[in-house]
Amino acid sequence: MLSMTPSKKRLAIFIIIGWLLLLASDRVGPLRLYQGSYIATYTLAVASIILLTGYSGQLSLGHGALMAVGAYAGALAIGKAMLHPVLGLVAAALIAGLFGLILGFAVARLSGPYLAGTTLALAVALPTLANQFDVLGGQQGLPLDVGSSPEGFGEDFSQYKWYFWICALAALIMIWAIANLVSSKYGRIYRALRDNPIAAELSGINVGRQKVLAFAISSGAAGLSGALLVILLGGVSPSAFPLGVSFFVLTGAIITGLYNLKGVILGGLILVALPEIADALASRIGGSEGLTNSLPDFLVSALLILAVVFTPNGPGKIFKRSH
Amino acid sequence: MIKSIRMKRLSIVSALVATSAMLLSTLPAQAAQTTGVTVSEIKLGISSPTSGSAGLVYGKVPGAMKAYFDYINANGGVYGRKIKLVHRNDKYTVKGAAASTFDLVYKDNVFALTGALGTATHQSGYKAAGMAAENVPDLFVNSGWSGFNDKNKDYPTTFMVLPTYAMEAKVMAKVIKDNFPGQATFLVVQNDEFGDDAAAGFAAAGHKMTKTFPYPQGGMDISVGRTILQGISEIPGKPVVVLFGTGDATVAMLKAAEELSMTKKFTWLAGSVGADANTLLALKVKPDTIDGVLSASFMPDAKDLTDPYVKQFSAINTKYNKGIVFDNYVLAAMNSAMLTVQALRAAGKNLTRDGLIKAIETKGSKFASAGLVPLGYSSDSRIGYNGYWVSQINAKGEGKPYGGKLAIYTTDSGAGVVKKDDPPYVRPTMPKNGIPTNS
Amino acid sequence: MSQFITAVLTSLSSGAIYALMSIALVLVWRSTRVINFAQAGQAVLTTYIGYDVIQKTGSYWIALAVAVISGAVIGAIIDRFFMRPIFKRITTGPISLIAPVVATLGLLGIIQSSIGIVWGINYQSIEAPVSTDGFEVNGQVIAFNRFNLLILIIVTITMLLLSILFQRTNIGLALRASAYSPEIAKLSGIKVDAVRTFGWAISGAASGLAGMLYIPGYYLYPNAMDLLLVFGFIAAVIGGLDSMFGAVVGAMILGFGLSFSRTYISMEILFPTAFVLLILVLFVKPGGIFSAKKKRGA
Repeated sequence: MLSMTPSKKRLAIFIIIGWLLLLASDRVGPLRLYQGSYIATYTLAVASIILLTGYSGQLSLGHGALMAVGAYAGALAIGKAMLHPVLGLVAAALIAGLFGLILGFAVARLSGPYLAGTTLALAVALPTLANQFDVLGGQQGLPLDVGSSPEGFGEDFSQYKWYFWICALAALIMIWAIANLVSSKYGRIYRALRDNPIAAELSGINVGRQKVLAFAISSGAAGLSGALLVILLGGVSPSAFPLGVSFFVLTGAIITGLYNLKGVILGGLILVALPEIADALASRIGGSEGLTNSLPDFLVSALLILAVVFTPNGPGKIFKRSH
Repeated sequence: MIKSIRMKRLSIVSALVATSAMLLSTLPAQAAQTTGVTVSEIKLGISSPTSGSAGLVYGKVPGAMKAYFDYINANGGVYGRKIKLVHRNDKYTVKGAAASTFDLVYKDNVFALTGALGTATHQSGYKAAGMAAENVPDLFVNSGWSGFNDKNKDYPTTFMVLPTYAMEAKVMAKVIKDNFPGQATFLVVQNDEFGDDAAAGFAAAGHKMTKTFPYPQGGMDISVGRTILQGISEIPGKPVVVLFGTGDATVAMLKAAEELSMTKKFTWLAGSVGADANTLLALKVKPDTIDGVLSASFMPDAKDLTDPYVKQFSAINTKYNKGIVFDNYVLAAMNSAMLTVQALRAAGKNLTRDGLIKAIETKGSKFASAGLVPLGYSSDSRIGYNGYWVSQINAKGEGKPYGGKLAIYTTDSGAGVVKKDDPPYVRPTMPKNGIPTNS
Repeated sequence: MSQFITAVLTSLSSGAIYALMSIALVLVWRSTRVINFAQAGQAVLTTYIGYDVIQKTGSYWIALAVAVISGAVIGAIIDRFFMRPIFKRITTGPISLIAPVVATLGLLGIIQSSIGIVWGINYQSIEAPVSTDGFEVNGQVIAFNRFNLLILIIVTITMLLLSILFQRTNIGLALRASAYSPEIAKLSGIKVDAVRTFGWAISGAASGLAGMLYIPGYYLYPNAMDLLLVFGFIAAVIGGLDSMFGAVVGAMILGFGLSFSRTYISMEILFPTAFVLLILVLFVKPGGIFSAKKKRGA
């Protein structure tokens, strides 16, 4: 271990995690596989927000819209154009990334609340655009069936195991890419952008270009997570990406700690685990319909406030002295 | 590096805590011999909306089914087993239905689904829960989308009960042709497969709409209604407006007409999905507005207590579903519940999923029910009822046969003609006290 | 022709409601430099309180008064006991810029889910106090009714009262001074903290009024005001977050744009229209229409 460079060590860790996950998928039932797929998907979405907001300092309230772009792109690529799922996912990420590039240009001059407001409006507007274009399936949306596993895997390879393999591997690969990015010089550039844009500009960084690039990459990752999400839903429709999705993944990112990619799996885990725990709690208590439906949101929001107040810089930094 | 060790420890501990909490709280129950069936209980599941605008209209469905099942449980159950109905609120969204249906199958471990509500919602839920692969019976779905009749490909375990939307549209087309020739006609539908099915039915009957107004599911409200009506306010004569949406959409359109004082300017034809008069009145549509509205139904009117089925279900509702007004949705829900009980009985004491599916295929067409048209189950058809009679609502919320005399029309979802049932279909006698004894 | 008249009139009445929300948001922004997402929660909470009052007393007007007053109280409580402690705790680091905003997001979730637990999530309705049948103009019924007219009247009076408050009273002066330059205001003896809480109170009252005017004609449920928050925010941004006048102008622009596009293009193009309007304005003026060239940085 001592002789490996950090990037090789990172690659090794990711490969080991991937291999362990695939082994585990053999031993668990559809429920865990389905939950695991969601965890992977949300972890990826959280990672994309950490990149955009935590590292490059641009607050976006519209990640749901970016996920929707990737979702529709994936549905069209795999469903209509009949591409292989892997190719389709790559296409989804690229198209979402391209969209992010354009969007990044459009909002490059905006900052703070103006950026937040524009991304918020986008989050509300984009899904309804699908109603306008028949090729996007209107309100009904487009079905997306990645089918069952390829024949080579044998009969016992259930639909859910197939989902899990796709989601876990896609998320792992993309997060590994992002992790490499932020450990490289780009990571330092982004942090400079975030903390002191004027100084960054003075030291020769093209602030505008870097912001746009960060936006594009983050959008690509978000788009990929959106495509994974609709694989799990079996289709994409405007109602799959309401405003709540943007807030939901932002919450996950804050709870994880916006400024460090290391704990990102925690974000995905909490986003899936907390509603499940709330669901179980509510049915044990036997509360009213209102309780059952609202308890998950209550717990998530409470955790968000606690996280922001007590561990604003991420759970790891409680013990950190100020620099 | 003390900082990073502590950080790693904290992250690992938090991850472990979250994971174990989730695992413990969602432990799947012990699987029985057949999932959802024990020596004393049969667990059924229903995914339907009980909140939001759809919940306002269809929220009564799970409670009504449960009331009927409670009645049966109090009278011996099904071969001694009590029926337990688990309901999950899917909020009438695709995402909600995917989660609800999945949870019913893999967390609640139900034996079968019954009464799943909605077209796009159930399409998503069926797939997300892998019901085809798991062979989970999908009984009497609350949707008229003809695509659910698909035993050989996408929906191998699904049984419809409502006549298809295409059938209803064809009957409506005949009514328009016979009674309102020469008037302009307009269709207000959801812009998804629910609406497509209706539009296809009108087309199959050879009827061309003057204009169609599609709207997104959940996207009809009074201001949208006003825009539509203002657009057609200058048409001469008395145009026919077909409202083929859910109850909340019908309410929105009628209220918009009230605000524009256009209620008597059009002949209203409301699709059975969204036309229960009592619900319309409960949601504050004025009695004068609903007076004269035409609708289609395949069941007796819920206010017609001379009908033995209506009388029996109404009595059960009073005793087991306290506080809920008996209307057409409650009637339909209890009817489906009675069909469900007969299906479970027909499958025998040794209850399996395959057995249940086979039982409906072979014996389902003979089940007793309140419907005024026959049930079409067979080894290659999963269609339930296949026809409608046309009703006219009055200001009291009663639906009486249009034209005075009851005329029942049957047809198919395709190019077949609409036939008047003469002599009219005779229903199987209702089992004594509404408790099935079939086998 | 009646379509045009209708479009103009509904622009005014919907613009009026957006104006209430955008003023509420701008008030908070100017005094605290925070986008208060919890405003949607405050507005819907006060409307639920109004709903309860109607159930008990049958009077819309009493409910309106109670909603506005409780809106002020709740707004003040949030500033004093939630926002201020947060600002005290988080003073450094990159998180300091977004922590308050995120905190309001969390507060929004808490308020909405608490409403769901206490009142349930089923749709309720509040009846308008006056008729909602359209007026007749030249024998044609238009889609503008007495309630819309009432909304216009109430909001106009409110705007007048607010502008008197801000321009002619001492506390209004204090509010404007504290927003412009807190340090100097403190030096000249203004109790900046108390004044800020007062600003939150007025903001809460405004959103409380917006809720009670908006909900009749729609349904009341925990998320019922989310859309209005988004529109109010867009209106505020269009007008330039620092300007109260801009908030009203932005709201009117948004109201007209949405109403006309819905009437003449299609009902489904609503949100994309809002987005396009916003992007167009920000492209030309990244700080909104009335943004002045002030000191940099939020």
